[in-house]
Amino acid sequence: MDLLEYQAKQLFHEMGIPVLPSQQINHPKDLKGLKIPYPVVLKSQVYTGGRGKAGGIRFVENTIDAVAAAQTIFNLPITGMYPAVLLAEAKYDADRELYLAVILDWSARRPLLLGSQRGGVDVEATIDTMQQVVVDQEFSPFYARRLALKMGLQGELIQSVSAIVEKMYQLFLQKDLDLVEINPLAVSSAGELMALDGKITANDDALGRHPDLATLQEKIPHQIKTKMLPRDLADTTLVELEGNIGILCNGAGLTMTTLDLVHKAGGRPASFLNLGSEYRHNNSPEVLRDRIQRGLELMMQSKNLKVVLVNTLGNVMLCRQTAEAIAIHLQHQAGSRVVPFVVRLVGDQFDEARQMLQALNLPLFHNLDEAIAEAISLSK
Amino acid sequence: MVQGITEPLGSIYAPLMQVYGGQILAGISPGHGGQQLEGIPVFDLVEQALLSVGAVDTSVIFVPPYQVLDAALEAIAAGIRQLVLVTEGVPPMDMMRLCRVAEASETLVVGPNCPGIIVPGQILLGTHPAEFYTPGTVGLVSRCGTLTYEVARELSQAGFGQSIALGIGSDRIIGSTFQQWLQILDEDEQTEAIVLVGKIGSDSEEVAARYIIEAIDKPVVAYIAGRTLPQSQYTGHAGAVVSSQIAGLRDEIGTAESKIAALKQAKVPVAERPSQLPDLLKQVLKGSTRTSAKS
Repeated sequence: MDLLEYQAKQLFHEMGIPVLPSQQINHPKDLKGLKIPYPVVLKSQVYTGGRGKAGGIRFVENTIDAVAAAQTIFNLPITGMYPAVLLAEAKYDADRELYLAVILDWSARRPLLLGSQRGGVDVEATIDTMQQVVVDQEFSPFYARRLALKMGLQGELIQSVSAIVEKMYQLFLQKDLDLVEINPLAVSSAGELMALDGKITANDDALGRHPDLATLQEKIPHQIKTKMLPRDLADTTLVELEGNIGILCNGAGLTMTTLDLVHKAGGRPASFLNLGSEYRHNNSPEVLRDRIQRGLELMMQSKNLKVVLVNTLGNVMLCRQTAEAIAIHLQHQAGSRVVPFVVRLVGDQFDEARQMLQALNLPLFHNLDEAIAEAISLSK
Repeated sequence: MVQGITEPLGSIYAPLMQVYGGQILAGISPGHGGQQLEGIPVFDLVEQALLSVGAVDTSVIFVPPYQVLDAALEAIAAGIRQLVLVTEGVPPMDMMRLCRVAEASETLVVGPNCPGIIVPGQILLGTHPAEFYTPGTVGLVSRCGTLTYEVARELSQAGFGQSIALGIGSDRIIGSTFQQWLQILDEDEQTEAIVLVGKIGSDSEEVAARYIIEAIDKPVVAYIAGRTLPQSQYTGHAGAVVSSQIAGLRDEIGTAESKIAALKQAKVPVAERPSQLPDLLKQVLKGSTRTSAKS
């Protein structure tokens, strides 16, 4: 889960990383009660980068200009997203701008400290000069100093920048983050440091043990959420495509394989739905059946849909729950538009599921290639 | 040993593992000590179980995601050196810590978010549906769950039984890697050829391909899922771009094209569909070694 800039800065502030005085603006008229002295920077709070170049950041000198600028920014989509919130922040005169980040190095399975003396908007320059330090054992501040020296910092900046990196690392660890980034970290002519912009990505799997982060998403006014589904349905997110075959599978690899085979055989998927692997510790038959049913309902909303291809594989309860969910779904659909199903169920309880579905006159398959050929012929 | 034996998954799979032929000496479930599950004695603490049943080779862990790290550390502290983590949703921070401890103690960790290991006809350490597997000489190593079953089923139906089959886990941070298992299968006397099943995302398959060039003598064939998956809608901000580039995941890495190219460079034939794997195996097994088989 990505945090917006103002949310990231709140966490920075709690951790003792210096940030400018700022105020959250939910509506242009909020600027009339602004407590920060002008000049002020107004910043669009969207998840994507490049907002400065897109016109989402404006400097204003007085209330009249600020209200007008806020109206413009609220109505300015950045890569299709409108901000629900602006951040009004004091203006800061930076002498230099650094880049700092703590990320997970997935391959090395270790945290990685990143830093560059060329922070700011020029991403290419930042990447070209990027220095990295792997935290291969228990963290200690020397890792941060190692980064500072690799970045080429000298004198007092070595200690002051290291101290910021150390705080970023603590935040990273305490909150189970995938990414903490400060870009730019401004250095004033007096050598003071200030985090002017920040980015935090929280790990989705760990949100359950960080209720403070999980609620941040709810605090964002709702127009910014496009198609956000409840957390328990995260794996039941329907991905919509252009074609006319709906695909329902269990497990990411099997879902991808089914999509690949449909494409290869000349079919065009309308949507696909991954019911998830069976390694969730709390999967119960009821939860599973409910997810399959809700997934089918979402899938049926597509007007192009001509056929549903179900491909599930496994053992224990899966086959029976899939068959039951399809049966219930067809009962609910009775009388309305009927979309044919092609079902491939392979597992221990196949016989029971087969009987249930045979009673509904659904074609059942063992072989995946044959099931796909049938689905494609029904989609033409 | 099964940790989390009274959890939903543990209570389903522990008896199946027992029936398959593995000897399950003990189950762990704090608060349920003294009970039995299908004849398996349940203990509150790992060390307590070991005092009662003696040494244990492997622990299969089914506890809820936020308890996996603790359960694994408990098993390692008690001297168990092979762990299978089935549970999905273990936070990466926990896995990083576990990987450090596992490396220091030379513990083999399979998973998390995986179906575990099966030696067909002998032992099941995880959730593989036994019906899809037959004993034989093909080593199957996969980064997927249900797709592993699909591939095993295709192999078994074509007469290619398996020496060992396992899923190493679908998460981004996992214990044992493709390389470790390729090496194990390369040294395993029962194994004549290796099937590698991957999917898009991460650089696991690219790294495995490089390792195959360097160190693997037996023939390898592969299947990669996700060739036609639509590009993610995610619009990367500068930080994401920077971090993925720095972490070695340049834009082109992680795609199906990149994985297939890397495998082809390692002279590993890549199947168009799972049902094509048996044909590729037949071809590579005509020659006795990888290099002579695929010129």
